[in-house]
Amino acid sequence: MHTIVAIKQVPDTSNVRINPETGTLIREGVPAIINPYDVHAVELAVRLKERFGGRVTAITMGPAAAAEALVECVEQGVDRGILISDRKFAAADTLATSYVLGSAIEALNAEDPVDLLLFGLQAIDGDTAQVGPGVATRLGLPLISYALGLESFDPVARRAVVRRKAERGVERLETRLPALLTVEKEVAEVARAPLPNLIRAARYQPELWTAEAPLRFDPDHIGIKGSPTIVGRAYTPPPKTPGERLRVAEQGLAETVSQALAAILSAGVVESLGPVPVTPQQEVSHG
Amino acid sequence: MPDPNAQRYDAIVVGGGPAGVSAAITMAREGLEVILIERGRFAGAKNFFGGVMYTRALAEVLPDFQARKPPWERPVTEQGYWMLAPGSVVRFMHASQAYRQDPADAYTVLRARFDPWFAQQAVDLGALVVPKTTVVALIEDADGRVIGVRTDRPAGEVFAPIVILAEGVNNLLTQRHGLAKADLPPRFVALSVKQYIGLPAKEVSARFGLAGTQEGLAIDIFGDATLGLPGTAFLYTDKAGISIGVGLLLEEFVKHGLPPYAVLERFKRHPIVAPYLEGGEALEYGAHLIPEQGYDRMPELVADGVLVAGDAAGMVDALHREGTNLAMLAGKLAGETAVMAHRAGDFSARSLGHYRRALEQSFVLKDLKQYRRMTDFLDRSPHFMGTYSGLVNDAALRYFTAHDRPKREMEREIVGLLRDRRGFFGVAQDLYQLVRGMRG
Repeated sequence: MHTIVAIKQVPDTSNVRINPETGTLIREGVPAIINPYDVHAVELAVRLKERFGGRVTAITMGPAAAAEALVECVEQGVDRGILISDRKFAAADTLATSYVLGSAIEALNAEDPVDLLLFGLQAIDGDTAQVGPGVATRLGLPLISYALGLESFDPVARRAVVRRKAERGVERLETRLPALLTVEKEVAEVARAPLPNLIRAARYQPELWTAEAPLRFDPDHIGIKGSPTIVGRAYTPPPKTPGERLRVAEQGLAETVSQALAAILSAGVVESLGPVPVTPQQEVSHG
Repeated sequence: MPDPNAQRYDAIVVGGGPAGVSAAITMAREGLEVILIERGRFAGAKNFFGGVMYTRALAEVLPDFQARKPPWERPVTEQGYWMLAPGSVVRFMHASQAYRQDPADAYTVLRARFDPWFAQQAVDLGALVVPKTTVVALIEDADGRVIGVRTDRPAGEVFAPIVILAEGVNNLLTQRHGLAKADLPPRFVALSVKQYIGLPAKEVSARFGLAGTQEGLAIDIFGDATLGLPGTAFLYTDKAGISIGVGLLLEEFVKHGLPPYAVLERFKRHPIVAPYLEGGEALEYGAHLIPEQGYDRMPELVADGVLVAGDAAGMVDALHREGTNLAMLAGKLAGETAVMAHRAGDFSARSLGHYRRALEQSFVLKDLKQYRRMTDFLDRSPHFMGTYSGLVNDAALRYFTAHDRPKREMEREIVGLLRDRRGFFGVAQDLYQLVRGMRG
């Protein structure tokens, strides 16, 4: 069984500061970490390897320093780390990134067929949650986003049942394999890695893939050229101020509801409904 | 019997500070398979000091260190003391052409940059450096000889015929193996707190009258900086920033109910000090314990299969703010001893006793022995720093001010200050104690 985990090295946002003039992140001096969701994706892959055997490959696109993140994946139990790094990839948006990762995964799949692809839900420095779904689309694979855990996993029958966080509760989805999952942190609890992993990682050097070798990526689809996204402006949203509080206990439910409705109507949020008669009907008991 | 699948090495080093890395470098270069285990996220993640690194000991460990491009901040081209009183200072500074050699005798460094570089040299020479792993116990055979270590990780046992403990000031393994008595009492441990304040390099140079980043200052500060309590403050120039801190015996913080950060903040607001820091941004804050128990209370350095080096062994010369250089040389000597033991196939305490003898012939134990009474001196003369700093400043003010009165009057007044504040007998006593402290 072969699992590929795509990871990203991100600035530790618990430490990050924003330059108030430019609205951009001050990355200097901020420690880099593996995107926290990705750590759980790696852990799930390692657990599956322990159960079913096989290999785990971690890939990342990023600067040379991202090799550290792959070494950390090896500490966690990943077998092989691939750093896709070239100045030609710089300034990639999610479209260009999903092209590069998708192409790399296709090449790895040709070498050693892939049973499962795991991505973190989203990267904490961009929060787009687009790259995983983008790769699934490019590769024509079933996508399950917001995965919370595997209910069953059968690499022989090539089927899995995945629990997925939905707007209202949890969905159970059955999928064929290979599939691509973007995972929540609940998907696997990160265990303390055994010492032999750390010893292996201490001397591990990830493979380096450039824009030309061993794969030749289409220059029109990578880096800034392959990235149609334009960032208009980045800004720190002002802190939300709390709205008016209506106190049911003091003024009764009917009065509260009518006040709330009046506020909603006057804000114009439900304008299309037309005028709604606001007449308190009766006291409704609750609780 | 140890698990046959367990990891085996020629030597295990516990701790990725100057002592441990020096030992690892020394042994790896002689072809030993070395594993260095460090509890921090990387070697140096837990390390902290004021900021001056001496190159002689480094050259002992890595003769070609300068070619390996250490992350120096600035060479120390001027150094000395400030005696601080409320609102004033007497400066005693020394600049010399002798400080302008390449490599310089001393550089300021930031440990978060220096230590990873130093550990990388060990890796480049073939040592294995494993971070994020804490050694929780020494593994002994039936006869009590150390044959390995147990870490806090699954499958976490590692075996080697020799273990070098360079675990730092919290020397729990050294204690558990019976080499050190117990935790040092608060009167033998200093607590140093420090901030690294970022400022543009040009600004740092301009404020201290330095021509550029090829010049730097190291100043130790007494008196009002520590509220007159026995201890020192320091101010070192980094490339684009200033390292500023205060250190007091832990006991003093406890006795006077002083929060360490408050002592540092007070020092930073001193009218002489504050202008140097103005507009700077505090980029790093840290605190560290410094073992200052002195020669007579050092742990045992040698037992069957184990050596102790660096802070874990109390190798700090508080008077000269030296520690990392003692640690480096001790690490090197420990490494050489391990290599000799491998050649002889004998890891008994008797064979490893070479380490203790080599240390005694080096400046490490010679200096520690000479200043063995320094802690006692400070104990008996707690007023030393405070009283004399105040005195010197008051005397200087009288000396330099034009009073339009006979100079003889001024001279008498200065002598009067000395008599009133300390008494001639007290001064004589202090001098005697100081000389005794220095002569050992």
